[in-house]
Amino acid sequence: MSLYPAFARPRDLGQAADIMGGLSTGAMIIAGGQEVMPSVNYGALMPEVYIDVGQISALKGIAEEDDGIHIGSSTVHRDVQDSEVIQSKIPLLSYAAAQIGGGMQVHNRGTIGGNIVSMHPLYDILPSLLALGAEFDVLRGDGETRVALADLMRDASHGLGSESLLVRIHLKPMTPGAGWSYEKLKITAGGYGSANAAAIVTLDGDKITSLRVVVGAVSALPIDISDALGGCRGQAWSDHLAEEIEEKASAEISEPLSDHQGDGDWRRAMAGVMARRAVEAAVEKAG
Amino acid sequence: MEDMLEDTVLVNLRINGKLHELEIPAHKSLLDLLRDDLNMTGTHMGCMTGHCGACTVSIDGRVAKSCITLAATLGRAKITTIEGLTQDDGELSPVQQAFWDEAGFQCAFCAPGMLMCTTELLDANPDPSDAEIETALAGNLCRCTGYQSLRRAVKAAAKLKQNTREAAE
Ligand SMILES: Cc1cc2nc3c(=O)[nH]c(=O)nc-3n(C[C@@H](O)[C@@H](O)[C@H](O)COP(=O)(O)OP(=O)(O)OC[C@H]3O[C@@H](n4cnc5c(N)ncnc54)[C@H](O)[C@@H]3O)c2cc1C
Ligand code: FES
Ligand code: FES
Repeated sequence: MSLYPAFARPRDLGQAADIMGGLSTGAMIIAGGQEVMPSVNYGALMPEVYIDVGQISALKGIAEEDDGIHIGSSTVHRDVQDSEVIQSKIPLLSYAAAQIGGGMQVHNRGTIGGNIVSMHPLYDILPSLLALGAEFDVLRGDGETRVALADLMRDASHGLGSESLLVRIHLKPMTPGAGWSYEKLKITAGGYGSANAAAIVTLDGDKITSLRVVVGAVSALPIDISDALGGCRGQAWSDHLAEEIEEKASAEISEPLSDHQGDGDWRRAMAGVMARRAVEAAVEKAG
Repeated sequence: MEDMLEDTVLVNLRINGKLHELEIPAHKSLLDLLRDDLNMTGTHMGCMTGHCGACTVSIDGRVAKSCITLAATLGRAKITTIEGLTQDDGELSPVQQAFWDEAGFQCAFCAPGMLMCTTELLDANPDPSDAEIETALAGNLCRCTGYQSLRRAVKAAAKLKQNTREAAE
């Protein structure tokens, strides 16, 4: 075996499936490299084979179809932010993509697929995608399957990044009139969050009719707390409801992260604060 | 399948207008390619983890951090480095001139990121607000200036570009 990694450039999905199917665990898909390269340079990662998916046109672009909006996994954050379709139909996602740190340079090269597959607790895209009920097309050696993000997060054997390829993301347009918000608590302007929350709310008059809330950056993976907040339905926004949301959201965080972004007790408390702020902002926008 | 694996990768990069046909190892970053192989040391190395922005170049018209760009993935890209910012007659570009006039830098280690990002910002948005300037420079650390002089220089660059445009009309 060579000391240096080998390189593969599949031109289409068929070739990608062949390559992934024929390689062992040392293979690593690379898209923008904004996650892989810092780890490689730092010495934390040493791929034996890079599979560059940048040539595969099926992974590119944003399209509005009858069954919803499709986003190719190689779409960079900048294009998610700038897309008129996403701005008008899924504004929560274009906003969340703009909150990613690292500056224009990272927005120009980092892809939505790479962000998802990293499943990094501090990243900014998963909470919104979970709140939006995202589904993915995933390609393995033996074909493509459709899987919900919520299921994928529970499945440790998904093999994404080496044995399987995230092809595209499926999203339904947000309900017209729904209010939304993504709140990110951060120490520096371009930095990672210490807690975040995505919220989507619909109202009838001033009463909440539906509510989706996901909190992130406080545990290993984002947590969907919509069911825990089910009691908010039928209520109007009030100080009392705000307190209830904050308490219930914090109570859902059973294993808070404790790292350089802050210790566990504080993170759990901030999860509540972010959830409250996100719902309040979403209620304000709804109507 | 084995025949789809390459040990070295052929790329055809147009760097500052000049075509380079290069056979490179798969693991090489664009930063190492520029500095070590092509002796273009204007692009700086500050961290290798994507945080400082000193290694910024423009790839197909969009700024990128060359330390976290795998050169083998670039195919036939057009790249502009800080060396390529000067005009054909050798004069400084309006952005460079404004940073010079305003003493925007102190040590200028951060110059590649600040100049490349300002150039891309002003091409798209000739009259940016303070918030837009901050967003555009957010991927770059400066350890000297405290950012005030940089912001001043970006504004001066916007004005200089506008004056140049008006003079040409
Ligand atoms: C300085 C800096 C600051 C950052 N700040 C933030 C931040 O605040 N918030 C945030 O969310 N992110 C942040 N990021 C992370 C940024 O890297 C990701 O957001 C980016 O989207 C990663 O995408 P990529 O295409 O570059 O991924 P890559 O590095 O190419 O890949 C990442 C992972 O995904 C896998 N992969 C990629 N594409 C596919 C695919 N199609 N199918 C299967 N597997 C795939 C790879 O194998 C790898 O495991 C930051 C990065 C840097 C360098
Ligand atoms: S050297 Fe590339 S970002 Fe610091
Ligand atoms: S002027 Fe010294 S780092 Fe910016």
